[in-house]
Amino acid sequence: MDIGPIWRAMMRNKTGAILIALQIAVTMAIMVNAISIMQERSRMMARPSGIDEQNIFYISSIGFAEDFNERVTIEEDLAALRGMPGVVNAIQSNSVPLSGGGWSMGLQTEPGAEIDGTGVALYFIDEHGLDTFGLNLLAGENFSATEVEWRERSATEWPDRVIITQAMAEALYPDDPDGALGKTVYIGDDEPLTISGIIEQMQAPWNGWNGVERVMLTPLHTLFGSTRYIIRAEPGRRDGLMPEVEKLLAERNKNRIVRSMRTMDETRERSYRGDASMIKMLTFTIALLVAITALGIVGLASFSVNRRTRQIGTRRALGASRAAILRYFMTENFLISLVGVVVGAVLTVGLNMFMVETFSLTRVAWYLVPAAMLILCIAGQIAVFGPAKRASTVPPAVATRTV
Amino acid sequence: MLSMQNISMVYRTDLVETHALREFSLEVKEGDFVSVTGPSGSGKTTFLNIAGLLEKFTDGRYELDGRDVSALSDTESSAVRNEKIGFIFQSFNLIPDLNLFDNVDVPLRYRGFKSAERKRRIEGVLDTVGLASRMKHLPSQLSGGQQQRVAIARALAGEPRFLLADEPTGNLDSQMAMSVMELIAEINRGGTTIIMVTHDPTLADMASRNVHIRDGRVSDIATDTQLAEVATG
Repeated sequence: MDIGPIWRAMMRNKTGAILIALQIAVTMAIMVNAISIMQERSRMMARPSGIDEQNIFYISSIGFAEDFNERVTIEEDLAALRGMPGVVNAIQSNSVPLSGGGWSMGLQTEPGAEIDGTGVALYFIDEHGLDTFGLNLLAGENFSATEVEWRERSATEWPDRVIITQAMAEALYPDDPDGALGKTVYIGDDEPLTISGIIEQMQAPWNGWNGVERVMLTPLHTLFGSTRYIIRAEPGRRDGLMPEVEKLLAERNKNRIVRSMRTMDETRERSYRGDASMIKMLTFTIALLVAITALGIVGLASFSVNRRTRQIGTRRALGASRAAILRYFMTENFLISLVGVVVGAVLTVGLNMFMVETFSLTRVAWYLVPAAMLILCIAGQIAVFGPAKRASTVPPAVATRTV
Repeated sequence: MLSMQNISMVYRTDLVETHALREFSLEVKEGDFVSVTGPSGSGKTTFLNIAGLLEKFTDGRYELDGRDVSALSDTESSAVRNEKIGFIFQSFNLIPDLNLFDNVDVPLRYRGFKSAERKRRIEGVLDTVGLASRMKHLPSQLSGGQQQRVAIARALAGEPRFLLADEPTGNLDSQMAMSVMELIAEINRGGTTIIMVTHDPTLADMASRNVHIRDGRVSDIATDTQLAEVATG
């Protein structure tokens, strides 16, 4: 390989090469960090919510008439829904995982206003809740029908027993999460609650929350004027049931509005829409950057070939085969790319450290750096192939031309 | 050594057909020093290109060192050029971004010599042309005469069987031209066959034999009168 003379020649005419190497370096730094962000978002989007998403949908009911009896309506609606063919179970709940809106409180293992609580998302459910969401009870027991209370919006008291997720148990009792069952925790500084069950997994309504899997279920029905029914259908029957449920609720009581029916699939899609858009945008940005860098390489190589036509002819006259000329330009580009990706690796790590520090992003996976170095070197070789091929067709007779 | 029989070279475009060489025949023997003269457009450079395997000819037969070179592939032609032929160009054709050492090294690398062998040869030929002390200089740091000496060193480094010189003193003043010509003559005395294209009758006279080309044909062995004609016009 003629690396020595190629490198020395390049160093005597280095402005263009340095600019391209810098372009490659910047492209690599942005590319790797963007891919890292995409990976992080993809991982986040792929997290299971812990519920039977494929078969669950929900619908809101809002009473408007003066004689609208919310409690009776809810009881009758739930009885009707649970009796529908194709419905596995149904509940009323204050919120839905990943929906973006819900309740959160702080739980503490000791009473006292001075103690910081651990944030937890709250779902108000009845004894049908575990089955409706399709939750896996790891320990303890489900709520019974008799302990489910009705709660007005202004109420401040809480039922005695709660069920929490495994993640919440680990947050409350990091040294002994398995011993959480039966323990007393405190809400609102000093109101005691007994942990009567632990479920494997369930997500909060907010996907970006760092405690997204810290959830508490409490046996409550709400009387807030607006209510939400969560319905779990038998596999494959969800889409057929949705219009039937809407019709049933609308016809059963004319003193309320039925609206906002949505599947959990839609909820998940809406919840991660911003992340999905970001992934698309970053993919486009990466493609654009690589394309611009490749065009830069093509431009530099083309300019270089045009500028050195006579020199190429001379090399051919002195014995260079077409393959040798092709190799010359490919090697030259490889050296530029190599410098670019080495500088790029340093820039990538630097940029990542800045982003970890500033935006609390995760560290770039180690394998992304060598992978990006390889990809950019290959992209450079592909980009330079055209101009290099053209250089190899310069006839040796060019050497004797005087103009 | 070099035998051309009825070589024709025709450049064709959609509208024009130009006969650069017509039934051109020439024999050059081992150790000859042949000068080629002729008016502009007579076909001197075309002859040189074909002789140096820089261009394919249209018709005829060309043997170099007893080998028919008309059907060589590009790779084979390149190898023959590299091993058997040294080129000296009017504009020196040194690579401006490489120092003298690397410039002379160019054909040797294509030959595939080992590093130590290349170094030995480069230092030897640069010493021969009197530039051994400047091997780290760039061409732009040398005078025209010195650059042509480097080009000669580059041509000699591979120890070619024959040397093709295209107006080797065309860009030099008379003093430098004479110095370069003395070097070329000395190389010829060392046994290297030389074919030199020139406009200068004085330089042509330094060759052992003059070939005059007119309208793409060998006119004859050039006479003093013809050389004077070339010089004036």
